Amino acid sequence: METIVSILGLGTTYALLAAGLVILYKASRVVNFAHGELAIVGGYVFYSTSLVWHGNALAGAIASTVISVVFGLVIYLSLMRRLVGEATYVAAMVTIGLSIILKALIVIVWRSQSLGLPLGRETIYTFQGGGRVAAIDAVTVGVGVVFFILLSIFFRYARLGRQFRGAAENALLASQRQVNVNLILGFAWALAVFSACLAGVLYGSRSMLAPQSTIIGINGLTAALVGGLDSVRGAALGGLLVAAAIFVTARTIDPALSDAVPFVILLIVMTLRPWGLFGTQEELDRV
Amino acid sequence: MKTSGSSRWFLGAALALVAIAGPADAQDYKLGYVTDLSGPLAGSYTPTWQGFELYMKALNGRGGVGDRKVKLFLDDDGLRADRAVASVKKQTERDGVLGIFGLSLSSTQAAVIAEMTKAGVPVVSTFSAIFDALPPANRYYFSTGVLFEVAGEAIAELSRQITPKGKVVGMTFDSVGGRAALRHNKAIAESLGYAWDEVVFPVRTSDFSPFAQSVAAMKPDIVVGHYGAEQNLGVIPALRQAGYDGPYVIASYGASEETAKAAAERAGSGKNIYLVSRYAPPTEDVPGMKAVKAAAKQYGVDHPTIMHVTGWVLAKFAAEALAKCGANCTRESLDKTMQTLSVETEGLSGGSIQMSGQDHYGPTYWRLYRWDNDRLVGVGEWLKKLGLKSSVK
Repeated sequence: METIVSILGLGTTYALLAAGLVILYKASRVVNFAHGELAIVGGYVFYSTSLVWHGNALAGAIASTVISVVFGLVIYLSLMRRLVGEATYVAAMVTIGLSIILKALIVIVWRSQSLGLPLGRETIYTFQGGGRVAAIDAVTVGVGVVFFILLSIFFRYARLGRQFRGAAENALLASQRQVNVNLILGFAWALAVFSACLAGVLYGSRSMLAPQSTIIGINGLTAALVGGLDSVRGAALGGLLVAAAIFVTARTIDPALSDAVPFVILLIVMTLRPWGLFGTQEELDRV
Repeated sequence: MKTSGSSRWFLGAALALVAIAGPADAQDYKLGYVTDLSGPLAGSYTPTWQGFELYMKALNGRGGVGDRKVKLFLDDDGLRADRAVASVKKQTERDGVLGIFGLSLSSTQAAVIAEMTKAGVPVVSTFSAIFDALPPANRYYFSTGVLFEVAGEAIAELSRQITPKGKVVGMTFDSVGGRAALRHNKAIAESLGYAWDEVVFPVRTSDFSPFAQSVAAMKPDIVVGHYGAEQNLGVIPALRQAGYDGPYVIASYGASEETAKAAAERAGSGKNIYLVSRYAPPTEDVPGMKAVKAAAKQYGVDHPTIMHVTGWVLAKFAAEALAKCGANCTRESLDKTMQTLSVETEGLSGGSIQMSGQDHYGPTYWRLYRWDNDRLVGVGEWLKKLGLKSSVK
């Protein structure tokens, strides 16, 4: 039971990261290599803002949500907006630069401190028969489910969500139909950074925040690629698959190999189904 | 300071500026200090540097060594061997230091020691050390810190004070030092009649739940963690969540009472958390600790820990070497002085630090501590270690 719950908890974190990557890719065809750093910095921001309000987690959550959304908009307006129309690798290089700056931020602002966020890690429910569930795993899965449901509703029913889908299909056509593509792209960055921040806070609560925690960005990217870079549904499944692979390898094969297994899955999927499990086949040409 | 264009350049540059701030008097003794102040183990190495600096500030406040102040040059290696080598070369060639102190993980030390051996500059490491300090020692390398192989054996022997028999599970990340500690822990544990199992996880791990579940499934009587403070913060709560509530031993590789405290808070309980340390925590009422606390108060270090004490003892070693070396101290004479140096630790460890021509590590003392509410409480007496018992490679 512990293993299944842990897979769901870790898998949800990766799924949230993958969702952010998918949103950005759908909107702008940019693969964001700074997503892990954005997540962990988001966790540190939550920690600092909570401290400002004397450990009030709710205040920290509200503050870090606002900061992440604003930061996403700032990234778009200051860095990515001027790259619209450029080759996508240019934007990808910019995100690599952003990742280096964010890592430096962890060193300078938080002094590379390793810490855990206080969102229920120490609370463990024990069931009859010996099953144990940490409150934070339940919270993580719950938050993830709510996030994906709201995201689906937004894309399906909200006007902005429909415009987003339209712009993702064909930005030129969408702009000719009076869709504000800049608004869509800015919104995509805000939503992506918010989802990264959410993932970082949950990850920092169930595991820990440290400079090396930015590695989760790689697992999130693997999840997105496995699920399909343009599929939110694929992101959810990819996250769970990557987490399951890590756990199964660590428990049954060799713990030291658990780092490599997500990439083995990635290679298999990329070889047999390069557009991912739920991705659109025609997307491959654009990549 | 030569650095790459990495993100840590800014902090490194700032630290270099701090180091060269204020011109050194021609009469000052100049010592170099290089360590990881911005990399993955900065949380462990920074307080060690602070302890070193604290001792030197207090010493200079009293007039220095024979009325000559000690000037420190600090550089950050970010746990990278290339930066460590560039820093020590800068300190020896430009700053003119007599010796190099501190250093970070073993992965950066070999390159530094090779370079300094060529230049004839003595190097003293803390808190992690490498094999070169043991007999037959590298002429220019000394350590007052924690040599992983020796620590592994000491932990195995001290485990008897927790439970005299049963199964020990050793955990480490996939590193040279971690595996070395594990090998020696295993060899001694098995010779004492314990069953042994181990889990080695990737270095960059930060979610420990799969490994903790593997350990819990092995049904251990003791779990030993051979890694830095940061990993303990993740592993202990994960073990508790996986259902293992038994004794957990934190190896003193940068871990301190702060580590035990934070892990206890995250795990929901500090029960059954132990720590094996080469140096005493500041809560110990020993003669040498009064000076540590007084200096910490005077120079604004709020909560000194075992890591500060570790740095303090290294600085004491350096200061006494300078005093014995005399007014015309050179790198060559400082190295010769260190080869026969004996430094009384005044209770900060179980005994004095004693170097000899062939042994640049000397006898070391280790003690088991138990986390008890809000402090580390000693369990049993100090264990004296003379080199290695096991010949396992």
